[in-house]
Amino acid sequence: MSAHQQGTELDLSWISKIQVNKPAVLRRAEQIQARRPVKKEWQAAWLLKAVTCIDLTTLSGDDTASNIQRLCYKAKYPIREDLLKALNMHDKGITTAAVCVYPARVCDAVKALKAAGCDIPVASVATGFPAGQTHLKTRLEEIRLAVEDGATEIDVVINRTLVLTGQWKGSDFIKTSTGKETVNATFPVAIVMLRAIRDFFWKTGNKVGFKPAGGIRSAKDSLVWLSLIKEELGDEWMKPELFRIGASTLLADIERQIYHHVTGRYAAYHDLPMS
Amino acid sequence: MAATRTASRACEIFTTLEYGPAPESHACALAWLDTQDRHLGHYVNGQWLKPEHRSSVPCQDPITGENLASCLQAQSEDVAAAVEAARASLENWSTQPGAFRAQHLTRLAKAIQKHQRLLWTLESLVTGRAVREVRDRDVPLAQQLLQYHAVQAHTQEEALAGWEPMGVVGLILPPTFPFLDMMWRICPALAVGCTVVVLVPPATPTPLLLAQLAGELAPFPGILNVISGPDSLGPVLAAQPGVQKVAFCGATEGGLRLLIQEAVWDETMRRLQERMGRLRCGRGLDGAVDMGARGAAARDLAQRYVREAQSQGAQVFQAGSVPSDSPFFPPTLVSDLPPASPCAQAEVPWPLVVASPFRTVKEALAVANGTPRGGSASVWSERLGQALELAYGLQVGTVWINAHGLRDPAVPTGGCKESGSSWHGGQDGLYEYLRPSGTPAWIPYLSKTLNYDAFGLALPSTLPAGPETGPAPPYGLFVGGRFQAPGARSSRPIRDSQGSLHGYVAEGGAKDIRGAVEAAHQAAPGWMSQSPAARAALLWALAAALQRREPNLVSRLERHGVELKVAKVEVELSVKRLRAWGARVQAQGCALQVAELRGPVLQLREPLGVLAIVCPDEWPLLAFVSLLAPALVHGNTVVLVPSGACPIPALEVCQEMATLLPAGLVNVVTGDQDHLTRCLALHQDIQALWYFGSAQGSQFVEWASAGNLKLVWVNRGCPRAWDQEAEGAGPELGRRAARTKALWLPMGD
Repeated sequence: MSAHQQGTELDLSWISKIQVNKPAVLRRAEQIQARRPVKKEWQAAWLLKAVTCIDLTTLSGDDTASNIQRLCYKAKYPIREDLLKALNMHDKGITTAAVCVYPARVCDAVKALKAAGCDIPVASVATGFPAGQTHLKTRLEEIRLAVEDGATEIDVVINRTLVLTGQWKGSDFIKTSTGKETVNATFPVAIVMLRAIRDFFWKTGNKVGFKPAGGIRSAKDSLVWLSLIKEELGDEWMKPELFRIGASTLLADIERQIYHHVTGRYAAYHDLPMS
Repeated sequence: MAATRTASRACEIFTTLEYGPAPESHACALAWLDTQDRHLGHYVNGQWLKPEHRSSVPCQDPITGENLASCLQAQSEDVAAAVEAARASLENWSTQPGAFRAQHLTRLAKAIQKHQRLLWTLESLVTGRAVREVRDRDVPLAQQLLQYHAVQAHTQEEALAGWEPMGVVGLILPPTFPFLDMMWRICPALAVGCTVVVLVPPATPTPLLLAQLAGELAPFPGILNVISGPDSLGPVLAAQPGVQKVAFCGATEGGLRLLIQEAVWDETMRRLQERMGRLRCGRGLDGAVDMGARGAAARDLAQRYVREAQSQGAQVFQAGSVPSDSPFFPPTLVSDLPPASPCAQAEVPWPLVVASPFRTVKEALAVANGTPRGGSASVWSERLGQALELAYGLQVGTVWINAHGLRDPAVPTGGCKESGSSWHGGQDGLYEYLRPSGTPAWIPYLSKTLNYDAFGLALPSTLPAGPETGPAPPYGLFVGGRFQAPGARSSRPIRDSQGSLHGYVAEGGAKDIRGAVEAAHQAAPGWMSQSPAARAALLWALAAALQRREPNLVSRLERHGVELKVAKVEVELSVKRLRAWGARVQAQGCALQVAELRGPVLQLREPLGVLAIVCPDEWPLLAFVSLLAPALVHGNTVVLVPSGACPIPALEVCQEMATLLPAGLVNVVTGDQDHLTRCLALHQDIQALWYFGSAQGSQFVEWASAGNLKLVWVNRGCPRAWDQEAEGAGPELGRRAARTKALWLPMGD
């Protein structure tokens, strides 16, 4: 993650002046999906970039040390070695950006990553994920404990009560949603958020990161997300320091696409290691 | 396994994250051209027509210059053959029940769907446009057009009872046009029962492909015929016996003018330049490209414009990734162009945008309306009231609010001023190809001996002609709300049916016409802003006044040989018509619901502006009133030339109008009909001209009105049965007296 930025004074007038032309945003969202197809070796390269931006996530009620270990191993070796060799990318340190787990599982994740000899950060969801409706005291304690256990990134759930009453806070990244809502990361929402990031950058010079999460399952989608970032913010944001994709099954689909690019065949599920 | 070359490329791309090409294969387009041995002819009556001894023109890829095929240049015989085929199938096609035609159009839509890849590939290859534009916008819209018009055909018997298809329609298209322009026009024509002959410039294969798809849908092969030939064949097409109407589409540049309010100038320019930087130019058939190229000629035009603009002091910004080889031209933003410079007046070529600042809404309207172009515009504002003020005030055919470029088959698209006077799409588009039932077919009558330079030029001199018998009629030209002396200071005698002198009327001339038009323009803003109810009230008051004058009017008509009974009917009908039109106009305007858009599209009926009317000799009072009423009630201000033989009843009506109507609303100029017609037809600031005189006069009016593309309605010398409801007070009059503006209001927050 980039160095912690200073931020600016909260100026509520910025927020009240915001106007969103919703029909135009919807049109742009539709367009962006068809306008920039990426093919062949460009696609392979972009997909690898997407892999390096994934926060490989598991947030299930039945998470235990064993599936966390499998996840961490997959985070270190997201794409099969021989496929990477064919693309001459086997020595570029292709790993996912982070591993994202519940606070109680942070210990297991840190241990598993250490055993695998991997230094990617462990991100923890905290603050009463996903609803955020717990006491401030316990939420702060949760964050402290997670950091103590070794998490270096925290996905904070904002207090919607405060938002709806206009009391805002700052952050290093903004995320579309917890990923556990009925509607999560959609392009219209993303366009508005990206434009806000751009405006903030133009006004203050500070770069805020973006993380869509929830419902991003196909490799094709990840390409559209990358091109959306490229179109709206530019090449600098297309890196794990400023862009993360919160996903779990996405990695499998990307790996299958890369398999297809390298071998010309469609893989069966058992051909590729599971996460 | 993948080659090492791609492997190392992947490494590189991982760092640069550039887009690569996403080429679409044009094999299918070439394969289709091969079926014609790369030598395209015409498509007539369901078959390819390749007459011998014709010259041919190469069809080239606008980007690489590669020769794709050669296209025949037609000659007059080919045009005649095509019109003959269209005529032969007309009887059959137009007498089919609407439901049958609807089905046929749906089948054509399905045929397009089945071959859409071929269609978009061919179009993109030949015109150089970005394939995603053709694939995602044009082809689906073409299918929607067919579907929409199929529905219209289906309901034609009930919804359009009283109207019949015109007949064979000719269509002339300009050198560079999207095939969609052709679809906009042929769909309504075919739907209502007309058959079509299209004259396309050579080197445009897409219409031929469409004709082939249509022709293969037996059993109506001859309804769509396509000839490729030079535009010198246009008059040949128009003169063919049987062709009832020729629609033509001129070439338009694709550039835009952007008016930005000063307060948001910097912010807007910054965002615009940022976005321009992301645009990608490239070969049209690359799926990842935003814009293609339109050939060397278009690029040179753009180049010249930019150079001239710079020499006139403008700032030029170009961006986007553009291949350095010709004929690509980068998207360009021109700003700081002085408004009086020639570049600011000229049409902006593609792909340029000229940005100018403005301070207030009033200024913006003045700048935007200050060009002869009146096609479409978009208004971007978060304040609804302000946006609507601009939308209503802009003199264009279509306005989008907070959106741009939206099109739908159900919304009429037209223009005003020099952007043309016809509509496509929606109901208005259908009426273009319809005429009231029972109207006789138009026989082409072109007098080769008509001297356009001399028509109506000379004014006959008038001399005293004997004693005036009976009460003298009101004297003078009714201009600006009162009777004025004519500029020429002479008069002409009006003789009654016995041959004795009924009275003298003023001899109006060019200066008087000028004055009348000015007076009409002055009265226009006030009249336009009146509500329909207010206008109706005035017409009712005029009707009551005429009723009071009945004995006077009857006696004037009797002196001209009209029987007492008939004269009474004439006056009665006139009164009735005034009241009827007043009532009719109260129910106007409607909102459409358009597919794929959330929010309404308002169809506003707007007045044309100043309407000039030359009245016929038959039914001198009734025709005068029947034409005046619809024109007025739709918000126009009027300049009338009453019947030459019997202008006096009209002058009597003027006396009433002097007290009742605002000054300048109605202006009546008496005098030599041909001379006054000439003045009106050549006047560039009249928005429409209705002429009910001689055949020669009709021809002159149509020729002269091309100067400012004013709307024209002529009778070609045929008298009209003004006493009949259909001809004297039918919906045709109402349609012609106003134009439609489409106002798009996408919703969403």
